[in-house]
Amino acid sequence: MLRGKLSLIHEVRRVSPKNRLNKEFHSWGFLNTGAHFLSLGSRPFLLGCVRTVKTTTWFEEHLTEDNQEYMRKSLGEEYRRQIAEKLCPLKDEPWQRHKWTEGSRRVGLVAVKLGMAPIWTKTGERHVVTMLQVQDCHVIKYLPKEEYDGHTAALVVGGKNASPFCKSQHQMEMYGNAGVPPKQKLTTFKISDNALIKPGTPLYAAHFRPGQYVDVTAKSIGKGFQGVMKRWGFKGQPASHGQTKTHRRPGASGPGGDPAKVFKGKKMPGMLGNIYITAFGLKIWRVNTKYNVLYVHGSIPGHRNCVLKVRDTVLPTRSSTIANPPFPTYFTEEEGDLDEDLYEDNLFVHTEPSLTLT
Amino acid sequence: MAACAKGLDKLRHSLRLLRNTQLHNERFLSTSKGRQSAGSNTEQPPKFVPPSKPVIVDKTRAVASLRKFLSPEFIPPRQRTDPLKFFIERKDMIRRRKVLNIPEFYAGSILAVTMADKNASGKTNRFVGICIQRGGNGLGATFVLRNIIDNQGVEICYEMYNPRIQKIEVLKLEKRLDDNLMYLRDALPEYSTVDPDMRPVPISDTDEVPVNKLKVRMRPKPWSKRWERPRFNIQGMRFDLALSPEQMEHAQKWAQPWLEYDMLKEYDTSKLEEQIYTEVQQEMSKKPLAG
Repeated sequence: MLRGKLSLIHEVRRVSPKNRLNKEFHSWGFLNTGAHFLSLGSRPFLLGCVRTVKTTTWFEEHLTEDNQEYMRKSLGEEYRRQIAEKLCPLKDEPWQRHKWTEGSRRVGLVAVKLGMAPIWTKTGERHVVTMLQVQDCHVIKYLPKEEYDGHTAALVVGGKNASPFCKSQHQMEMYGNAGVPPKQKLTTFKISDNALIKPGTPLYAAHFRPGQYVDVTAKSIGKGFQGVMKRWGFKGQPASHGQTKTHRRPGASGPGGDPAKVFKGKKMPGMLGNIYITAFGLKIWRVNTKYNVLYVHGSIPGHRNCVLKVRDTVLPTRSSTIANPPFPTYFTEEEGDLDEDLYEDNLFVHTEPSLTLT
Repeated sequence: MAACAKGLDKLRHSLRLLRNTQLHNERFLSTSKGRQSAGSNTEQPPKFVPPSKPVIVDKTRAVASLRKFLSPEFIPPRQRTDPLKFFIERKDMIRRRKVLNIPEFYAGSILAVTMADKNASGKTNRFVGICIQRGGNGLGATFVLRNIIDNQGVEICYEMYNPRIQKIEVLKLEKRLDDNLMYLRDALPEYSTVDPDMRPVPISDTDEVPVNKLKVRMRPKPWSKRWERPRFNIQGMRFDLALSPEQMEHAQKWAQPWLEYDMLKEYDTSKLEEQIYTEVQQEMSKKPLAG
């Protein structure tokens, strides 16, 4: 232990040899450390004696650098192999497929939020879109009616590959059954009985087509504990005119005397954000099939690079916008000749000449 | 037309004269080489050589610049966004640039923008003004043009990749001492007045872009912003006419001289710029292949 401490202090000294003050301080600290270990904690002020309780361990902790690199490399190869195996899901005995009928519910996707960009329509209007990328999205598990909730079947879908060293044995078993790398995010999609897909099937951005509407669920950006003005948009009180310590307070919380209580659900200060929020009925303007990017209308909850959930919209007025979607999902073997970019009819494509308005 | 024909005739005549003198000279000089060529010439009558076409250089036309220039909106900001996002956006930007020529310009250059406008007569609107700011990055890049029309300051913020833009012309390519000329709002109106019928000022496509070291005189305070504050760091302004030395010294109270030593704020884009520049050049040169 003592030796470790000494080497640590030497490290520090080596890093900043020019800083005289630091050097003096460190050498002093070193002396004291020695004293400390001899006299067993008589002096509380010591450099390098701040200890943290370690509960986490890392896979590379006891490995040499070469071995770490080897582990990473072999892991990457393993992932690539697993993904390549699943590229042609129709060849290795897929589950029985059904026809699209009105009212069927398809599976959704797990995507990563890239950021926002402007687009223009052919009439010269400007809209903003959020770019969502579908990274390594696979079906992990099929939950039949009985196993899920007794009413509908469901599919567990995972997206964005993650490290296997951070997953428990039980989780790894599930991924192993599907034959895909472990995922950062797992979600469940309720599906109709005819839309089931075999676990291990990759899902692509072309699952959704331009012109259709989707719902996006994501965890919103956490704002911490906030007051009522920020959290609920209360008005607050004036800055001056005799106010004493009353500028951003909630004011009264309800009537007195008769109910003699604060009603349930009263808007109060508290934690803001960091909850799951669904944005309903967002139009898909464009789909990039090469990089699997969805261009979804408007803003979407969550920060950049957050992993979110996209599904066909549940809004009754918007759900019939797509007549014949790829069902149960898009298979590359079936529609391999899709263009790199699919555009909504009214969207301006940058290869076209400039707009002339009439 | 007639004048042109006459000029051509004259040119042809002078050429013929020149050729004759050349022959004469060759005969005069008794070098072996000259004799050989002369001999071969004398055997058969001199062939008719059409005069070379006069090359008319239209200096007003925008030529592809030979300067190395990467538009600033190509450089991604420093953040944790996936680089793929900028790559995909860049592809769209290049596609648009193949259709519309977006020339090189800076804050301080004088531009004319023709834009499709539903409500304008003739359905297009042309605005001439001095570029006072370039903003945004990626497809959302913008620039602001300012002019004074009927004694009224007018500023229009154009989106560079808006498909309604028909044409962007650079009438005068120059830089100023500052990258942001928003202070022209508080300057005397003469500094932001541009003639709407201005003719393009020719500039060689290899020269450095000239820097206009003009220092503007300001209207009396109050200004829209306290331009004397160090965070604006404005060079192109005559502070000595607008403010007293005491006021100037007082403004230094807000100076943060330690910020330039903040290594965490350094963002060296030179490597990234080089990379993106080659990528953009490659993509742009693919134009004929793509049709």
